[in-house]
Amino acid sequence: MPEIVMQVNGRRHTVDVDPETPLLWVLRDALGLVGTKFGCGGGFCGACTVHVDGAATRACTLPLARVNGRAVVTIEGLAHPVQQAWADLDVAQCGYCQAGQLMTAAALLARTPSPTDDEIAAGMHGNLCRCGTYMRIREAVRRAASLAASPGAGVAR
Amino acid sequence: MSAVVSRRTFLRTSVTATGGLLLSFGWDGPAPLGAQPATLQPNGFVRLAADGTVTIWSKNPDMGQGVKTALPMILAEEMDADWSRVQVRDAELDRAKFGGQGSGGSGSMREEWDLYRNAGAAMRELLAGAAAETWQVPRASVRTERGRVLHAASGRALEYGALVMPASRRPIPQAPVWKDPSSFTLLGTRVPGVDTDGIVHGRPLYGIDVRLPGMRYAAIARCPVFNGRVASVDDAAALRVPGVRQVVRIPGHENPTFLMPGVAVVADSTWAAFKGRDALRVQWEEGAFAAETSETIAAQCATLAATPGTTVRAVGDVESALASAARVIDVHYEAPFLAHATLEPHNCTADVRDGHCFITGPLQMQTSGARVVAAVTGLPVERVHVQATRLGGGFGRRLLSDYAAEAAVVSQAVGGPVQVVGTREDDLRHDYYRPAGARRLRVGVDAAGHITAWDCHLVNISRNAYRRGDGPPWSTETYGLVAGVSAAIGPDLELDLVPWQIPHVRLRYSEPRTGVATGAWRAPAHVANGFAVETLLDEIAQTTGRSPVDLRLELYGTTRALPAAGEDPTPYSPDRMAAVLRLAAERGGFAQRPPEGRVRGLAAHYTFGSYCAQVVELSVTPAAGTAPRRVTVHAVTCALDCGLVVNRSGLEAQAQGGIIDGLGHAFFGAITIDRGRAVEGNFDRYRLIRHREAPRAIDVHVVPSTLRPTGFGEIAVPVIAPAIANAIAAATGQRLRRTPFLRDGYTLG
Repeated sequence: MPEIVMQVNGRRHTVDVDPETPLLWVLRDALGLVGTKFGCGGGFCGACTVHVDGAATRACTLPLARVNGRAVVTIEGLAHPVQQAWADLDVAQCGYCQAGQLMTAAALLARTPSPTDDEIAAGMHGNLCRCGTYMRIREAVRRAASLAASPGAGVAR
Repeated sequence: MSAVVSRRTFLRTSVTATGGLLLSFGWDGPAPLGAQPATLQPNGFVRLAADGTVTIWSKNPDMGQGVKTALPMILAEEMDADWSRVQVRDAELDRAKFGGQGSGGSGSMREEWDLYRNAGAAMRELLAGAAAETWQVPRASVRTERGRVLHAASGRALEYGALVMPASRRPIPQAPVWKDPSSFTLLGTRVPGVDTDGIVHGRPLYGIDVRLPGMRYAAIARCPVFNGRVASVDDAAALRVPGVRQVVRIPGHENPTFLMPGVAVVADSTWAAFKGRDALRVQWEEGAFAAETSETIAAQCATLAATPGTTVRAVGDVESALASAARVIDVHYEAPFLAHATLEPHNCTADVRDGHCFITGPLQMQTSGARVVAAVTGLPVERVHVQATRLGGGFGRRLLSDYAAEAAVVSQAVGGPVQVVGTREDDLRHDYYRPAGARRLRVGVDAAGHITAWDCHLVNISRNAYRRGDGPPWSTETYGLVAGVSAAIGPDLELDLVPWQIPHVRLRYSEPRTGVATGAWRAPAHVANGFAVETLLDEIAQTTGRSPVDLRLELYGTTRALPAAGEDPTPYSPDRMAAVLRLAAERGGFAQRPPEGRVRGLAAHYTFGSYCAQVVELSVTPAAGTAPRRVTVHAVTCALDCGLVVNRSGLEAQAQGGIIDGLGHAFFGAITIDRGRAVEGNFDRYRLIRHREAPRAIDVHVVPSTLRPTGFGEIAVPVIAPAIANAIAAATGQRLRRTPFLRDGYTLG
């Protein structure tokens, strides 16, 4: 089996598993990084969202082979004002989708530092929340944008 | 063995593959002897350490409804603990410490209020008494505040932690005095969920995150047709999949809500288990329901609706009253099967060893879950140990414990720890669905517009019959069917609702037969029944030219005129019902003219001891013409009364979330049955509401109250769909009598 080399949260990993295995299961079962969640396995719900070379990506449908030589950031490695904003606004209900919501929101703010409500709705549309926390997610993205814009913005870590 | 069991701890630290520290789950052996720090633990709910740290156990699990924060808040309030020094643990199953454990029926606030207040008050009394003794002053001269005991006369103060030793020598108060609610400083405030930090940093909190040494993963093939069985298995290809270890036959249990038959593939990783399961070649005995479709079920309901049915309740003479009514409204409603679709898929971890079974997973009902595991493993229930994790959603799905039973029997066969994981397809196609059904309602109205007769024939699949429950099949299906025109006169909040303002009422029931598995779905029966009742009331108001508010107020009557409420501490109160209706109507501007192009709709409901009314403001584009028509929900005004507010943040979250859940399922939710199978397998076909489709605003208004708190995890759900349908009727003239609204050409956006 060909070895796959990737960086996860700043650490280099050499992984020796079937390269067709979705990144999600490599993270969860091989690397013990269970913060990235399994929701649907088909890229419909966004619970498994990670950053691959900075882009929000669905880990459940991404074969390991396509991560070779790339840099992955998971929720465990995220250090971004969205986390503080989510905590401030008590966004989570069951919380299961929120790792994916946070990864998507962080990527959205990287592209669009000061999004309108429509841009938030469009940017977050691919992430399902079964508990219906959408109102607070919208508010938290706005808050994270202002935290990021203010000097000395706190990093939740 | 008992020593091992009694000393087990749930949380421990271990080193992950990546070298970092991971807070993990597990059942540990005995704690090391010696160096135990001094602690004060007068009961199973709370422990005070000498450093001032307070540990509080949440006896019931949190699935997003917030009890893991709200229950400890009650205790911390009574104890006058400093909330910043409180840490919260998920309690393991322990009857001696906690009594029955489980979250359901919106019951945690209503049922655990006394326990948590008593536990906190006992702690406060121990500490205050210890301080008074230390200072040699009268007990009445000291008071407690935010983690300290104060003696005002001398200006002295002692931290709680410093009182652990003297307090531990005092007798535990058996009937401690509760604080007056006017002195509450924590309850009623906005407190973030206690797992927030773990959630935003991706720490392992959920059942699916459990990792035990030597643990295997398993996926289960189940008969695609409900009620089917395994005829034969060819597992050769499955066993050739790299990482697959073993294939296990699961015979199932006679009660299908305990354990369904299937074939489990056990592997070294979740992915290998899924691939191995896909490689199984199973011949199924499809059973008696293999030809069933949604259409055959609907036809059966229509046929039954034309029969007299079984009369469940009758007051007066409905037929005569209908015959002499000035006008009769005769309408038929339909409700589809709904899936729960918890975002955390079906999973559980079990370790059966040495005659014990250790279950760690997303159990909603620890006590009944242990009974189910005992039944399928043959172990005595005392040897089934349950540690519930945080749940990635419940919505009623996890009231059953079939996934724990699966993990237990597979672990038993393997002889080691096993985590069973389901795919989304497993979840949506093998759920215990909200039962489908129909309702025919005939209502008689007199010349002045007063309702004189109410006849309802409920034709609904029975989840009680499916679970082999005691009692008649309708006992789980009639909830809320006449609520709003009814009063509770007995201890059971749901079953003893009887109409009292309408002179002639009859409730009839017929049971359709199906192979489809059914169970409770958030606000069970209330969602479909409330939709029928609340849209029908709106239609009656419109037909008779009355205000929908006035019509409802007349039906509620007043608390003064209500028969005695029996033993229930939170009896139904028409006054509280009327107050939330008035509040929603006022704050939602129901009597005012809406902005150009918009309409308003209203509905109200009573569920599990709580009251809710909502006014929606929406627009429909195009306002006339053909499908699809887009409904934009501009605002929802939600008024509620659930007694004293424990956690305002959690309460508002449940209102918002319940509204969004109810809205999404009203527009999109339906499981289709074809050839005895559930068709929809993932979120491309089983559509859930998304960000862009949510209301633009949801305003929550709470009736101030010092009454015993009741739950709010469910009550918002049944109210939103009828409020929306009533607004759509105002906009278009079309009365929606079934969900999902998408079937009638309406979508959200």
